[in-house]
Amino acid sequence: MASEHEYYVQKKGIAKFLDYLCLTPLGAIGFLILIIVPLFPPFNQDYLLRWFILAAIMGAGSMAFDFSAGYIAVVNFGFAAFVGLGAYTSAITAVRWGIPLPVAMLCGALASALLGLFTGAISLRMRGMFAICLTWFIGIALMGLAIKMVWLTRGMLGLQVPYFFPSDVSNLYYWYPVLGLSLMTWFILKRIARSHMGLAFKAIGQNMDAAKTSGINPTRYRIINFTVSCALAGWVGAFYAHFIGILTPDFLHTAKTVEFLVIAYIGGRGTLWGGFAVAFPFIWFTEMLRSNFDYLPGINLLIYGLILIVIMIFYAGGMAQFFQYLVDKYKDNPTVRWLTT
Amino acid sequence: MASAAIEPTIDESAIDKVEQTIENTFVQKVVRWVFSAAGITICLTILIAIVASIHKGPYILVNTIITGGMWALMAIGLSLLFSVMNIAGFAHGEYFMAGSLTAYFVMQPIGKYTLDHPESFITYVGPLIAILAGTFMCAILGVITERLVFKQLRIRNREGWLLNCFLITIGLSVIMQNGHQLIFGADFKGILAYWDFPSVPILGVYISMDRVCAFFIAALTMVGFYMFMMFSTAGKTIRAVSQDEEGARMVGISVDAVHIMTFALSCGLAGLAGASLLFMFPSYPTVGVMPLYNSWFIIILVGFGNVAGSIPGGFMIALFQVLTRSYFGEGWEAVIPVLLISLILIFKPSGIFATKVRTVWDQ
Repeated sequence: MASEHEYYVQKKGIAKFLDYLCLTPLGAIGFLILIIVPLFPPFNQDYLLRWFILAAIMGAGSMAFDFSAGYIAVVNFGFAAFVGLGAYTSAITAVRWGIPLPVAMLCGALASALLGLFTGAISLRMRGMFAICLTWFIGIALMGLAIKMVWLTRGMLGLQVPYFFPSDVSNLYYWYPVLGLSLMTWFILKRIARSHMGLAFKAIGQNMDAAKTSGINPTRYRIINFTVSCALAGWVGAFYAHFIGILTPDFLHTAKTVEFLVIAYIGGRGTLWGGFAVAFPFIWFTEMLRSNFDYLPGINLLIYGLILIVIMIFYAGGMAQFFQYLVDKYKDNPTVRWLTT
Repeated sequence: MASAAIEPTIDESAIDKVEQTIENTFVQKVVRWVFSAAGITICLTILIAIVASIHKGPYILVNTIITGGMWALMAIGLSLLFSVMNIAGFAHGEYFMAGSLTAYFVMQPIGKYTLDHPESFITYVGPLIAILAGTFMCAILGVITERLVFKQLRIRNREGWLLNCFLITIGLSVIMQNGHQLIFGADFKGILAYWDFPSVPILGVYISMDRVCAFFIAALTMVGFYMFMMFSTAGKTIRAVSQDEEGARMVGISVDAVHIMTFALSCGLAGLAGASLLFMFPSYPTVGVMPLYNSWFIIILVGFGNVAGSIPGGFMIALFQVLTRSYFGEGWEAVIPVLLISLILIFKPSGIFATKVRTVWDQ
């Protein structure tokens, strides 16, 4: 948990190294558990690993989403389209030009970043509402393009995407890259959030007029933040494409954006890690609902909506706020303090 | 000394003002309006509509006028909600859906009855009952939403109000769409026609009775809405709260009641649009997405919180959509508007009818 003391406490040994990675000891333990858990039953089954991987992808995506929603209070309401643009770009460059997949992933990130830069430059001069509307419109337009440009994306038929690994390998091969990707996303976002720039982001998110008075150029910082968030979205999407193997325009739908949004807000806005932590139980829960109540179509989305409203009204801080409450309660315990700072 | 102090100083700006007021004859006002951003756009819209109608056939004009009126109703509701309560209503399309659904279920027995008794007066009045039922259903739904959700949020947390409300309306929209799918199924629930009469020839085009009625319903509602906002006490209190909530509370206006009224009005207008367009848009879970998209498009075009501007805006957007569909084909109507929106945001972010009175709204 990123608390205010973090910057001032002198750290030694392993804590210092973890601090460089922007992980608290507790976070590192959680991460280690994630590394070893798929090796043991019952989690070593392929379909369970599959939702582990999907959850990690959703979690990484919601971290990127939270970077702009939580820090500068700009909701990217076409987020799934930015993720999908990265996915499509990576897939198409890999197929057409035959470039290696990691480079193709970078191409996907670049495409999303450029679109994010364009969107931000147009809409972030004004209040956040304009950005919400414009990103929403862009999301719908990208989905329309993906449906219409059949010669490039094969439309609703779905685009075949090359896999990272041969199709007969266990999902374990994908698990460690996706963990690495999530850690990388976390590292990049958290390093930025800790820098002076991150301070400016927080100032803008809390009170833009006060930030302006302190000499911060809000437009510039917001565009930087938004571009970084979009670039990481594209990068996560590119990984998703090469994992799932087929891309359809449905992936760019606003409903998918809502999924990222719900996960990020249940996790806790402005914390980054909240979304990643919540993604695992959440994806498992909704997959359970979807498979056990298939005679009730859309029940999982209904529950998303309910949870979102309840969280917004009664507990705006989400799960991270509850975690902080627990930490504050036991803050005199030295072990707890060591684990969480 | 004293005389120097008394000597009147000539205020140049005051003279300018007087001259300006003298110059404000009717003709000059019209000329100035025509060359303002609003005037140019409206004149261009009319011109383009006429040219396109000559080129492609008069159905463009007819479609524009009928759907434009309804989009304007939607956008009025949305704009009202935004300017009075600072709520960005992303669930507004779902009230459209609820209105059309209610109208469908009310219309079923009425349709059966009129099949058996084609001469009875129900043939004429029945559809109106269905449309009114849709309107009232949505108004009630709106009040329930306000009490259950936004009132609770207002009591608990006023920080980051706009963003929280935006997220809540997304949740509402998801709930209502999937609730519809769960309870009523995902199939199309539509009717063939409200008023099953022969089409009316206007300008050499045969227009179905439903479309004519839809246009008159929209026009009457707009006039009624204008009268309500301008001359009734309730309308005046709504305007007062939209300008200054604290001030309104100080002079004894019950802000709570105004919020309920605003929600009922704005959701009722969306329901009215949905119910009257049931013959064009059968009710299914995501039927509201397109109207919602259009109304947000209108709001960005005319400027946030500009209620009256939504009316010309509605017709402009309708024309734009009809033109994209007839010149570029089906499926592109989601892609082309982004270009226009980008241009608006680059060159005139406050909208073409930028309002002078800005309501207070945070990020």
